[in-house]
Amino acid sequence: MSEMASPDRATLLEIYRIATLIKTADDRFIELIKAGQIASPYYSPRGQELIPAAISVNLRPSDTVVTTYRGIHDQLGKGIPLKPFVAEFMGKATGTCKGKGGPMHITHVASGLPVTTGIVGAGLPIANGLAWAAQLRKSDDVTVCNFGDGATNIGAFHEALNLASVWKLPVIFVCQNNGYAEHTKYELGTSSRTIADRAIAYGMTGVEVDGNDAIAMWNAARSAVGRARAGEGPTLIDAKTFRFRGHLLGDDSHYISKDEMAQAMAADPLPRLRAWLIDQGHATDGALTDLERTNEQAFEEAVRFGLDSPFPDVSELDLDVYAMETAA
Amino acid sequence: MTMQILLPKLGFSVNEANLVEWMVADGTQVAKGDPLYALESEKSVQEIEAPVAGVLKIMKAAGEVYEVGTVIGEIG
Amino acid sequence: MSTAAAKQINMVQAIALALDEAMGRDDSVLVLGEDIADKQGGGVFKCTAGLSTKYGTERVKSTPIAEQAIMGAAIGAALGGMRPVAEIMLMNFMTVGMDQIINHAAKLRFMTGGQTHVPLTIRTATGAGFGTGGQHADYLESWFAHTAGLKVVAPSTPADAYGLLLSCIFDDDPCIFIENLPLYFVPGAAPVPGERVPIGQAKVVREGSDVTVVSYSRTMLEVLGVAEALAKEGISVEVIDLRTIAPLDMATINRSVARTGRAVIAHEAQVDFGVGAEIATRLHRDQFGRLKAPVGRVGAARSPVPFSKPLESAFIPTAARIRAAILDTLAPSVATP
Repeated sequence: MSEMASPDRATLLEIYRIATLIKTADDRFIELIKAGQIASPYYSPRGQELIPAAISVNLRPSDTVVTTYRGIHDQLGKGIPLKPFVAEFMGKATGTCKGKGGPMHITHVASGLPVTTGIVGAGLPIANGLAWAAQLRKSDDVTVCNFGDGATNIGAFHEALNLASVWKLPVIFVCQNNGYAEHTKYELGTSSRTIADRAIAYGMTGVEVDGNDAIAMWNAARSAVGRARAGEGPTLIDAKTFRFRGHLLGDDSHYISKDEMAQAMAADPLPRLRAWLIDQGHATDGALTDLERTNEQAFEEAVRFGLDSPFPDVSELDLDVYAMETAA
Repeated sequence: MTMQILLPKLGFSVNEANLVEWMVADGTQVAKGDPLYALESEKSVQEIEAPVAGVLKIMKAAGEVYEVGTVIGEIG
Repeated sequence: MSTAAAKQINMVQAIALALDEAMGRDDSVLVLGEDIADKQGGGVFKCTAGLSTKYGTERVKSTPIAEQAIMGAAIGAALGGMRPVAEIMLMNFMTVGMDQIINHAAKLRFMTGGQTHVPLTIRTATGAGFGTGGQHADYLESWFAHTAGLKVVAPSTPADAYGLLLSCIFDDDPCIFIENLPLYFVPGAAPVPGERVPIGQAKVVREGSDVTVVSYSRTMLEVLGVAEALAKEGISVEVIDLRTIAPLDMATINRSVARTGRAVIAHEAQVDFGVGAEIATRLHRDQFGRLKAPVGRVGAARSPVPFSKPLESAFIPTAARIRAAILDTLAPSVATP
C-alpha cells in the first residue's frame, strides 16, 4: 500500500465491505446469467472494485454518481438497495425502473444515482448539468462521473471537460482506465500519453492514480471531492485498473495477451487488500469472513426477491413515456 | 429439488447458441461449479458450470443450436 | 376586433417576453446557449436580450460552441430539479446533439420507470429564405416527432409563440420549440400577459367548407394568402394552424375534414416521410368513407436547401404549389364504379 494519508480503520473496512459486495454481486450475476435466470448483455467490473469503494466513502447521500453499463460497482458503492437492484436485472416489476430500463440504465434517485447511460461518453455532459444544479441550489454537493478509457476519445468527453472547467463545476470525472476500449488496447486508439494529460488541455487538475490501491484511490478521491466542494472546480482522475472478465460476458478476451491477463490476475486487488488489512491488524480473518458471508446472504435474499417478483404488466408500455398518457 | 438448466444468453445480439458438448455423462452426480457443458455463441466457446449439486439429466443433445431459454437438462 | 391602438409585437419580442415571464415567476427556469447572454449580444436574433442583466449569469449562461455539452448540461440540470431552456442556434445543429436529445432526454422518464423526468425546453430556429444553404435551414421536426418521449411545437404567430413557449417551459417533458427566421420579424397581435397556449391544441384560423388545409410555422403565411385568393374565386378553404406537431391534435383536424371531405397538408419540411405523411395516413384511416379525394401534401423539394435565390424560392412550398394541391382535391375525382 502507498505511503500517504490513510483512512481510519472503520473507513478501510467499509472500503473492503463495498469491494467484496461488488465481487459477490458480479459472481452471482454471472451464475444467474449462465443458469438462464437473467437474459441480458452483461458488463463485469471484476478487477475494478476498489475505485468506487474508495470514492464512495468520501461522498454523501446527496452527492450524485453518474455511471455506465459497466456500473454495478459504482451503483453498489453509492448504496443502492439490493432487492430492487437485482430485480431490475431480472426485468421485474419490482426493479428500480419497473423492469423498463434494465442493467444499462440502473437508476435510484434516493441513493444519488440519477442516471446510468448505455452510450459511451454521454454521461459526462449530463454530469455537468447535475453539478450546475447543485451550484444553483447553493449546496456543496458534488457529482462523480464514471467512464472508461475508451470514452475519452469521443466528442462528448471533450465538450464536457471544457465546459466543466469554464463554468468551474463541482464535478469529478473518474476515468476507470482498464487499458481496453472494447477490444482495442489503449495504445492503438488513444493519442495521449495518459488520460490525466488531457486535463491540461482543459485547464483542470488531472491526477494519475493506481485505482487498485485503496489508499491511493481514497486520497485522490478525497482531494478531488474537497476541491469540488470548495468551489474550486472539476478534476480528472485517471485511475489505472484492469478488467478480468472481458468487455461483455461471452467475450473470451482474445485481444488481451495471456501474459498480461495472468499478471493482472496475480495482482488482484481484492485478496491483496484483504491480506493487508489482516497484516496491519485492522481485522482478523474471521471478521472479514463474517463480513463476506453477510454480503453473500444479503445478496442471496435479493436474488430470491427478484426471482419471486412478477414481470411488469404489458400496460407499462404506455406509462412513463410522457408525464401522463398523451395520445400522439 | 430439481433445477432446470436453461440455455443462457451470452453475448450481445444472440438469441440462440450451439450446445457444443456435454462435459459429463447423463446420470452423473455433479457438484456445484463443476464444468457441465460447452456453449458457442457469437464471440466464443464458453464453459458453463453446474448451478447446483445433484444428478444431471440430459434433455437436449449436443451438436445442435437451441434458442436462449430452452430447457436443455435438469439437475435433481 | 382590433382597434388602431391594438398592440402588435413580433416573434422575437414575444419569445423574449415569455422567457422574462417564466424566469420572473420561477427561479428554476434557466437559459443557456451560444451567445445568449447580454455580454455576447443577447442572442444572435436577440430573443434572450436583457435576461442575463436582469437575472444574472448564473441562471443565464452563454456556452461554448458545443451542442452535446449544451444539451447534456440542460438534461443534467433538469434531472437536478431545474427547468432549463436551451437554445440550439439553428435546427441543423440539433444533429450535433442528437445522442443527448434522442437517447437521453426523450427516454430517461421511461427507462427509469418514472423515477426521473426531463422538463427541458429546446428552442431552435430554422427556415429557408436567407441564402444560408444546405446546412442551416432544414426543418427536422419529423425526426423528433418520431421519437416517443418528445413534444414538438412550431408556432406561426407571436401570441402563439409566447403562449406555447410558456407551456413548454412549464411542461414536465422535453419540448422542442421551433422558431422560423423570416417569421421572427412578422408583426402580430400581442399576447395577453401570462396566457398560455396548450400543447397539443391546433387552431382553426380561417373557417371554410370546401377543403381543409393544415399547416404550421412559416408556411401558414403562404396558406392564408392562397386561401384569401381562392375565396375570391368562390372556393372556401378552412385553414388549421397545427401549432403543435407532437402530440398531434387529430380531433380538430378530423372535425374539419369530416365536413369538408378534402384535405391538404402544407409544410416547409420535405414531403417524403414528413408530418404531412402522418396526418394523411390518419385521415385516410379516420375519414375513409368521407374523403372526396386523396389527401394532398405540399412541402419542400426533395433536395438539400439550395443556395441560389431562384432555386431557394422554388424549393419552399410556394403559393402556386399550395394552390395547385388544393385545386387537385377539387378536380373531378378518379372514376369510381
